Amino acid sequence: MSTLLAAPPGTIPAPTIEYTQLAPMMLVFGAAIVGVLVEAFAPRHLRSAVHVPLTLLSLAGAFALTILLAVDGTRNVAAMGAVAVDGPSLFIHGTILVLAFVSVLLFNERLQFVSQAASVPGSTEEEDSLEEGAVQTEVYPLALFAIGGMLLFSAANDLLAMFVGLEVMSLPLYLLCGLARRRRLLSQEAAVKYFLLGAFSSAFFLYGMALIYGFAGSVDLAKINDALGSASGRDTLLYVGAALLGVGLLFKIGAAPFQAWKPDVYQGAPTPITALMASGTLVAAFGAVLRVFWVALGNLDWDWRPVMWGVAILTMVVGAILAITQTDIKRMLAYSSIAHAGFLLTGVIATGGPAQNEEALSGILFYLVAYGFTTVGAFAVVTMVRDAGGEAGHLSRWAGLGKRSPLLAGVFAFFLLAFAGIPLTSGFFGKYAVFAAAVSGGATPLVIVGVVSSAIAAFFYVRVIVLMFFSDPAPDGPTVDVSSMGTAAVVAVAAAATVVLGVLPQPVLDLADAAAHSLFVR
Amino acid sequence: MTTHYLVLSALLFSIGAIGVLIRRNAIVVFMCVELMLNAANLALVAFARMHGNLDGQIIAFFVMVVAAAEVVVGLAIIVTIFRTRRSASVDDVNLLKY
Amino acid sequence: MTSLLAAAPAAEIAQASGGVLGLSWLMIALPLAGAAILLVGGRRTNSFGHLLGTAMSLASFVVAVLAFFELLGRTAEQRRVGVELFDFIPAGQLDVKMGLLIDPLSISFALLITGVGSLIHIYSIGYMSHDPDRRRFFSYLNLFVAAMLLLVLADNYVGLYIGWEGVGLASYLLIGFWQFKPSAAVAAKKAFIVNRVGDFGLAIGIFTLFATFGTVAYGPIFEHADKASTGILTAVGLLLLLGACGKSAQLPLQSWLLDAMEGPTPVSALIHAATMVTAGVYLITRSNPIFDGAPTAQLAVAIVGAATLLAGAIIGCAKDDIKKALAGSTMSQIGYMMLAAGLGPAGYAIAIAHLITHGFFKAGMFLGAGSVMHAMNDDVNMRKYGGLRKVMPITFITFGLGYLAIIGFPGFAGYFTKDLIIEAAFGQEGVRGYLLGGAALLGAAITAFYMSRLMFMTFFGEKRWDKDAHPHESPPVMTWPLILLAIGSVGGGAFLVLGDRFIHFLEPVVGKPENHHGFNPVAPVGLITLVLVAAGVALAWVMYGRRPVPVEAPRGSFLTVFARRDLYGDAINESLLMRPGQWLTRFAVFFDNRGVDGLVNGLAAGVGGTSGRLRRLQTGFARSYALSMFFGAAIVAGALLLVGNL
Repeated sequence: MSTLLAAPPGTIPAPTIEYTQLAPMMLVFGAAIVGVLVEAFAPRHLRSAVHVPLTLLSLAGAFALTILLAVDGTRNVAAMGAVAVDGPSLFIHGTILVLAFVSVLLFNERLQFVSQAASVPGSTEEEDSLEEGAVQTEVYPLALFAIGGMLLFSAANDLLAMFVGLEVMSLPLYLLCGLARRRRLLSQEAAVKYFLLGAFSSAFFLYGMALIYGFAGSVDLAKINDALGSASGRDTLLYVGAALLGVGLLFKIGAAPFQAWKPDVYQGAPTPITALMASGTLVAAFGAVLRVFWVALGNLDWDWRPVMWGVAILTMVVGAILAITQTDIKRMLAYSSIAHAGFLLTGVIATGGPAQNEEALSGILFYLVAYGFTTVGAFAVVTMVRDAGGEAGHLSRWAGLGKRSPLLAGVFAFFLLAFAGIPLTSGFFGKYAVFAAAVSGGATPLVIVGVVSSAIAAFFYVRVIVLMFFSDPAPDGPTVDVSSMGTAAVVAVAAAATVVLGVLPQPVLDLADAAAHSLFVR
Repeated sequence: MTTHYLVLSALLFSIGAIGVLIRRNAIVVFMCVELMLNAANLALVAFARMHGNLDGQIIAFFVMVVAAAEVVVGLAIIVTIFRTRRSASVDDVNLLKY
Repeated sequence: MTSLLAAAPAAEIAQASGGVLGLSWLMIALPLAGAAILLVGGRRTNSFGHLLGTAMSLASFVVAVLAFFELLGRTAEQRRVGVELFDFIPAGQLDVKMGLLIDPLSISFALLITGVGSLIHIYSIGYMSHDPDRRRFFSYLNLFVAAMLLLVLADNYVGLYIGWEGVGLASYLLIGFWQFKPSAAVAAKKAFIVNRVGDFGLAIGIFTLFATFGTVAYGPIFEHADKASTGILTAVGLLLLLGACGKSAQLPLQSWLLDAMEGPTPVSALIHAATMVTAGVYLITRSNPIFDGAPTAQLAVAIVGAATLLAGAIIGCAKDDIKKALAGSTMSQIGYMMLAAGLGPAGYAIAIAHLITHGFFKAGMFLGAGSVMHAMNDDVNMRKYGGLRKVMPITFITFGLGYLAIIGFPGFAGYFTKDLIIEAAFGQEGVRGYLLGGAALLGAAITAFYMSRLMFMTFFGEKRWDKDAHPHESPPVMTWPLILLAIGSVGGGAFLVLGDRFIHFLEPVVGKPENHHGFNPVAPVGLITLVLVAAGVALAWVMYGRRPVPVEAPRGSFLTVFARRDLYGDAINESLLMRPGQWLTRFAVFFDNRGVDGLVNGLAAGVGGTSGRLRRLQTGFARSYALSMFFGAAIVAGALLLVGNL
């Protein structure tokens, strides 16, 4: 009891906050709060005009601040050890901000988001709101909160901050998933499922955190790692805690057997939100996975690696095999995302000495950039192929798209080839970097499974290409909507990134190397 | 002493988890998730006492705040889908499958 | 044998420094450019295409002549000149530097190819004057000349192989030149496919050489040939022989040559008599250090040659189609050359000498046959000729001179070169010498018979013409080449053989023949040959000169039928190769469909089926997802505990 209150009341030292180092996050959260105020006070017709520049500018500003921080070179732990400012986190922040920027460019509240979320689908209320031209502009501040959460989640240096980041990231996404303008039943269903399962996984994460706290007496990642060295006889707490913590994180990256939500949610959510989740959330979740397993549980790697092997193999195989029989384009991309999460996990497993860790980390960082751009581009193309009922999701509707719109179909085919990891696309170097690291980390069997899965996966990517180019278009087939400048720009940027990273990957590889050089601060 | 709290906490967590698995009403399912969070809170506070530092107690407060936010979001979603489908059963929402 | 040989070919290959030799690549480039211009230019070049093609061939001939004289100006030891062109295939260990080798052997061929080739180009101007596709014809001829020159001038086996395939392509295109005739199209395909068998052997032979010596260039291979094991050299020799058999229509790959006569007659003269079909002889002579190290392969060459010279001669006896009779004769004569080449250093130079004289007289006779066909409305049946000597005097005289040359009438070209081969064959030790020599001797008699038969049926006797035939002498553009080739048929042999001129010229390449005493006109073998030749001519006169020739062919004895059917070569091919091949194909298709495809499709179906079943797990119920998460969490925790407590 006497040790319970180490410091007498009234002498709690005031916490120090390094505002400059947290500036990117602060800017995003600040803009989100301003967005809420805009919702509250700005007249309805002005909101959209305020939100779009506000959101984009804050993201661009945060990106610029991240660059400044990276150039500045200070690497430490900010906010009383809650947030790490180091090479990987800055790289991941930059990636998330850019991917979020292009995802937000896809937002088009009149096309994709519901006019009034509270109205019942098919009711007169909904018709009225549609006639009125109402729009749900809350999507912008909600997205900003989610993005801010991603930044915190991926840079958190203690488990509490990570939990808060996880929730701040997830809660707005639960809502955003239910805001699709068309097929509202599916969208709402996606929201319910995502929310319930997400909350369930958060509970696992939280309980795992409690057990780890019980083991180590602290939730600080570095202190947990230190405690691993001093055997304290509470191993069960540690192992179960680590497992539950892992479940929460693996759920977010969509690793099997925690992948079940991904296809349903990706299919039901509005496509720009799917793009944001498939790129930003995945990047942030991998940042968190790396931090927990490399920093907090780094000395435990002999124990978690075999389990992670199983998870990675299962994830790759399930993602690749289940994608084959999918008939919905977004669902297929969701399974593709699962398979890619598996490929990335092979990099997470490839730990070893510092040089080995650096190689693996650099490979993962490059892969995240490459995959993020390609996936945002692919979902952007999905938003453009529309028919009377909204987006033409069913694969059969895509038949003959190559004849109707050769350019768009060609770009989409290129994205698919990048997913498959064909040389001269970014996907090739991404896979190469991660698999090479895994091989030198001694995970050759895993890489073999990865390559076989890639081959299976290539089948369904090519199947879509064949469908687009070698089938005759249906007479009432979907049209390609090129009215949105933002969407066209996203497709162009993503295609350019996929090409450049596939042909001239060296600058980004160098950047990833530099970011991985000092590894994580502890 | 601590062990008792931990056992209670584990029981609560298990009841919550099993509740999520077996209950159909979305509200009840959600309440079971809250039960799991509170089981974690109990464990945190018990460990804080065991370790003799305040971290666990502080975390418990954070968790409560987060849980409150989660309630807001969760109830919003569940109410919306209830209005749409006139049902709060999680088994009724299964259009998205295979 | 080897000691005699070692001295000569080991001489260093000098590098060309400027001069005509340095420009000898022009020989290949000029006709190649001609072919390219005519093919790319298309119809626009119709008006001058034939002139351009002929000019390119002539220009190439001029370069060859200049190179030849520059070579003559050097001492014998310095007559092997390399011309480096470019690095062709720099791929790891395989580094093929493309270059030319100008030596007595290759320049002899170059002169023959460009000289005879130019004459045939000129002849074709007249022969093809009514053909709407004359330009295309000349482009193919130019392509052929370029490829053939690459074949003989390259200084490595890869270059030779490219030329080898190039002449095969040109031959295919020219046999099938009149595509509207189904027989021509079929003949072209047959030639191509049969040649593939031979090319396969050549390719494997070259791979083996590369595997053994680590290079494909002649210089190092021949320098180190004696260091390789006899087994390897024998294998390579037999593989090269297979290639030679395909290209030179030797047994057992002879069947395509007779059908190849479907092509225009100048093609038959150039490709299927004078040049391309002799490529096999060139290959064996060029590879002499390999064959000298592999006596078994050498013997195989001689046997193939002896067998083919008899088979060709027998076929020639029974054919009523003038071109096919000449084609049988070509087979037979190339058999002589192969036989000579198979005799080792004693025979290489003689083989090439016979090759050159044969190039003249056979090309002349083919062109003469073309001239006759031209006069007889393209009828090739000799039973409908007769008495043509009066209406076509120039053709008759030039053809007659070629005839005298091929049967070995004393003083004419064939007399010198063929006698040398027969003598050299008898010069072999023991039974081998008698068998090979006997075959050659018998062949000479049969040659005299069938060639006399051809002469009598065509130019003598009564007229058996079709009613609408109005034979006339051909225009000068066609007769002049005949005259020039006839001059070669008359004097070529004496020029090359007397004083061992040609044998000495080739010495730096193929070595000095042992036991060679120069040409002896009154050697016993030579006298016997003359007697047999006279007997052959007399028999032919009795059968075809004295008696009238029936217009309808009599049924004839089984031997005649045997010969008419090309010694059942096609039937043998069909039953031995084609039928089993078809069975093999059917089996392969079956195996591919059921076995390989079955495996692949089964795998795909398995994955797809797994996918179809697994996706049922995605029930859409959030609670079942939660259940899978719950179990997943339990398994992860359990596994971690298990691993951690190990």
